[in-house]
Amino acid sequence: MLVMFTISAAILARAATQHATVELISRQTSVKPGSHVQLGVHFMLEKGWHIYWINPGDSGQPPSFKWHLPSGFSAGEIQWPRPERLQPNKELVDYGYGDEILLPLTIHTPPGISNGASVEFGAEAKWLVCREVCIPEQTNLHLKLPVSSAASVDQQHAQLFEKTYKLIPKPLPSGWKTSFASTKDEFILTIRASKPITQAEFFPLDPGQIDNPAPQKVQPTPQGARITMKKSDLLLKPISTLRGVLVMPGDPAYQIEAPARQPIQ
Amino acid sequence: MNQRYRFIFRGFAVLALIASAFAVKVGDPAPGFTAVDSNGKQQRLSDYKGKFVVLEWHNQGCPYTKKHYESGNMQRLQKEWTEKGVVWLTVISSAPGTQGFVTPSQENDYLKTMKASPTAVLMDPGGSLGHLYAAKTTPHMFVIDPAGMLVYNGAIDDHPTSNQGDIPNSKNYVSMALEQAMGGKPVAEAATRPYGCSVKYKD
Repeated sequence: MLVMFTISAAILARAATQHATVELISRQTSVKPGSHVQLGVHFMLEKGWHIYWINPGDSGQPPSFKWHLPSGFSAGEIQWPRPERLQPNKELVDYGYGDEILLPLTIHTPPGISNGASVEFGAEAKWLVCREVCIPEQTNLHLKLPVSSAASVDQQHAQLFEKTYKLIPKPLPSGWKTSFASTKDEFILTIRASKPITQAEFFPLDPGQIDNPAPQKVQPTPQGARITMKKSDLLLKPISTLRGVLVMPGDPAYQIEAPARQPIQ
Repeated sequence: MNQRYRFIFRGFAVLALIASAFAVKVGDPAPGFTAVDSNGKQQRLSDYKGKFVVLEWHNQGCPYTKKHYESGNMQRLQKEWTEKGVVWLTVISSAPGTQGFVTPSQENDYLKTMKASPTAVLMDPGGSLGHLYAAKTTPHMFVIDPAGMLVYNGAIDDHPTSNQGDIPNSKNYVSMALEQAMGGKPVAEAATRPYGCSVKYKD
């Protein structure tokens, strides 16, 4: 059952490896000078396989990209959609994506590019794809777009971008506040919201802080919730900020950056 | 209940007790265990009191394990540290039918082919030793000091990739932990996030 490494280096926007078809796509059909363009790496995975979030959890590795951009262009950070919780066995929980996922980013375009020219974007993409086993895959992605000062949305891709933007964690609504307290073995994250929260899950952004497989206890309060999480065995020092993503049914995913309160003990 | 069953039951109870009593935390006593090695010999952690012990979780099919074996990195570490008196126990917790599961003789052939020289390879297809240490990945490394205390828990090095080319630029956490602990110093980076494939437990 040995599986081979697959290295595909076709000069195409879309590249197929053993367990994934990966494409560099754009929300716009052309590049506007002195503006920005939304690109995204679209992973279409073989059924049952998955790739990882920026914090992959207990095993795995997030995808990485080395961008090759025309001079004067610059790339922003990947905007990571909220992950799914993946549990291969009782010892581990990973954070990632199955089926298909778009990893979007913004490219800033310089003013001095002329109408009618075309520009080419490239990315060396590396990712780990896993089912029961894990395979490192890589490919070179390319995308050529014309330069035009007229705005132009690619209708087909725009839909996928819109769907993906809904999965990207948003800043907390104004008035909401978070903080956390630390006991010997647990973190207690307090969320002060505008309503009681009965169901929620916290995805940690920094590895090695919470024990990923341990169940999270959500206690609703009149103004939000307290979420109790077991600390990771790997955490030996106090932390000042608990960063992550809060996912509640029926709400957008929210970015959490909770400062530490005084220790309870 | 006959004697034999009672013994097995007591064994389970003790194992469960140990698992719940100890978090596998640096600074705590390393949980004791008895396991059978690839030569059919019983290996007890308590047999090695007075020595440093390294535990290395292993799966020969995992790309991250291959990074360290196909480059010869793991074999170099095994040779270097066992020559200095360290006990190196490789542990295989892959369940039958999963990646990395091998019979004892297949494992001994692998050691010969790869020129690997751990002190012993512990066969853990039921996963009890893996769960006792909450081993998450292959590789996942632990270092136990001569007093039986856990002094390191985590990754083999600071480059969480499957690329052999990263090894020369990596900081090896296991060697650093052993050097510092042997020199009577506290281990500076005593817990890190292990990286690799998930351990292929049966549950």
